[in-house]
Amino acid sequence: MRSIFTTGAAALAAATILSGSAFAESHAALSGDLVIFSDMSNPAPRAVMEGMVERFGEMHPDLNIELTIIDREAYKTQIRNFLQANPPDVANWYAGNRMLPYVEAGLFTDISDLWEEGGLTETLASTQASMTIGDGIYGVPYTYYQWGVYYREDIFEELGLEAPETWDEEIANCQAIIDSGRFCYTIGTKFLWTAGGWFDYLNMRTNGYDFHMALTNGEIPWTDDRVRATFANWQQLIDMGAFLENHQTYSWQEALPFMVNGEAAAYLMGNFAVAPMREAGLTDDQIGFYQFPQIDPSIEMAEDAPTDTFHIPSGANNVEAARAFLLFVTSAENQTLINGGDGLGQLPVNSQSSVDDDEFLNAGFEMLSQNSPGGIAQFFDRDAPAEMAQVAMQGFQTFMVDPSSLDSVLDRLEQARQRFY
Amino acid sequence: MFPTPIAKTSRTWQLTYQTLLPVAMVLWLLPLLAVMWFSIKPGADFTTGNYWGRPSSFEGFANYFLVFTGSDMPRYLWNSVMITVPTVAGAVALSCMTGFALGVYRFKGNLLIFFMFVAGNFVPFQILMVPVRDLTLDMGLYDTRIGLVLFHIAFQTGFCTLFMRNFIRALPRELIEAARVEGVSEWRIFWYVVLPLMRPAIAALAVLIFTFIWNDYFWAVVLTQSPESQPVTAGITSFNAQYRAMYHLMSAGSIVAAIPPVAMFFAMQKHFIAGLTLGAVK
Repeated sequence: MRSIFTTGAAALAAATILSGSAFAESHAALSGDLVIFSDMSNPAPRAVMEGMVERFGEMHPDLNIELTIIDREAYKTQIRNFLQANPPDVANWYAGNRMLPYVEAGLFTDISDLWEEGGLTETLASTQASMTIGDGIYGVPYTYYQWGVYYREDIFEELGLEAPETWDEEIANCQAIIDSGRFCYTIGTKFLWTAGGWFDYLNMRTNGYDFHMALTNGEIPWTDDRVRATFANWQQLIDMGAFLENHQTYSWQEALPFMVNGEAAAYLMGNFAVAPMREAGLTDDQIGFYQFPQIDPSIEMAEDAPTDTFHIPSGANNVEAARAFLLFVTSAENQTLINGGDGLGQLPVNSQSSVDDDEFLNAGFEMLSQNSPGGIAQFFDRDAPAEMAQVAMQGFQTFMVDPSSLDSVLDRLEQARQRFY
Repeated sequence: MFPTPIAKTSRTWQLTYQTLLPVAMVLWLLPLLAVMWFSIKPGADFTTGNYWGRPSSFEGFANYFLVFTGSDMPRYLWNSVMITVPTVAGAVALSCMTGFALGVYRFKGNLLIFFMFVAGNFVPFQILMVPVRDLTLDMGLYDTRIGLVLFHIAFQTGFCTLFMRNFIRALPRELIEAARVEGVSEWRIFWYVVLPLMRPAIAALAVLIFTFIWNDYFWAVVLTQSPESQPVTAGITSFNAQYRAMYHLMSAGSIVAAIPPVAMFFAMQKHFIAGLTLGAVK
């Protein structure tokens, strides 16, 4: 721990010297109070946050850091209030459209100069787009994780299948799996968001990242033919019987046993699904990972990778210290440390960080840093406003249960779009 | 006598009773039994879909051990103690005094004040959620044990006062009057005459309030949020991590959290039942 900390400090110091004397001067003299509001309230993230504050405090003994950790759910409503009434110097939030209302209201500071000075435009290139709104960059990420298809490698081998790269291969694979008496995909839509993941991927592969962002941003009617094309692809899978039956009665965890027991061959899910699969006795030889296959070759691949972030509210008092803290959080060393297996167990955002020696983290890191030219989406319920996401994901579930309801679902979504944006 | 004792009924009725009773009991205890069953299973059983079958391995000791060593559970339990005990002491002490004042003295507004204590019980506490949270936040008591204790004392005192006042009313007034004739000061009357007579009521109330406060979930969630201050009922949710629920640990944790009030009940059964029926018949 100590040695990592010192190398981290040294590297950060070196980086700041490189990035110009003006910044180095201010950096050296950090003092006063640094107020941080954080939503990292679950045990492991909480320990990570407290660890970061401790290490940053050791680097700047004259700085008095006040860390307030707020329950992750409660934070979502409190942030509206405290950004205006009682702004901290640093606050947690999410990337993408989720920060749009605060950016538009002028509550987050544009820190694109910090990105330039600190060299973040290179080291954090993979997430830069999701932190950018208009011409400004409004925060820094500190962790993210990939989504993709986790599949039973042994079942694929048994059936002589390869991980699909195109939609045709996907359909052919799925037919073979169904013929063997299994479901292609397990899914539990009881809490709706899992269906949102499917929509994200189908829409980003059918219409591309920019269209998907415009749609979740309320700029495109849900009754648009391009949206219908997405649903047509989805219906192709549903009509084949690709998805687990009665999926509306399971949570995502309750849908796991079907894959573990070999009744379903794959799961479109975030990387957090790997831990319970391993616990249930699947070995890394049995679990495989592939990027969601291409549907339209003319469209660049884009991925879902929910990103958690730090921002400097525009009402911050100690901006110098806040900027230094953001640089510290995103430094390669700190990123390696906090995203390791005994920390968050996710992907570091800094491309110079090392990833834990884990098959799936490595696959995800590679996919997101090299094979996602279209962009990185945040996930449906983060990209769309909360009210819209709720109605829309309900609609996805209805559609998955009964595809003939498509027209009424799209009408309902369109009405919701006109009401909520 | 109603109901007729089972021993005096017909044989068929006795047999029906004897078979139905265990069935009803099992049905009643089913959720609790399920939690107990889950608490001895390994976490992997929930991912392989083995919910009700034999545990693939017996993990009872491991789970309970992990609850105590691998989580903040001991801290949560300690918080529960540090919240419940002061609340019981505070609410009982206050209500002894208010009960004495309202039960013994006749003054203008006595009934009005008493009704206000009673009326407080009829306020659904959910509607107090937002103002109380804001109040504790402004007072700097949000997410502290003392904040939760103060609120519980304030809220429980209403019920306790009702209980104590009625109990004191039922005491023979002659005792107090005799003491007054002897020239004993009012404070000493309270301390040496009334308080000793209130012992059964105090014991009953303490047991009752202990279980109320220990089992409180609502205010624990509203007013606290960190392991430094959350009691065990709210702390159990920490097994429900950001992405997934640890059913086996949550079950083991729930059992552990339920032990103190259950133990309290069996140890103080006599007082508990006295507490529920005190004043029911004169």
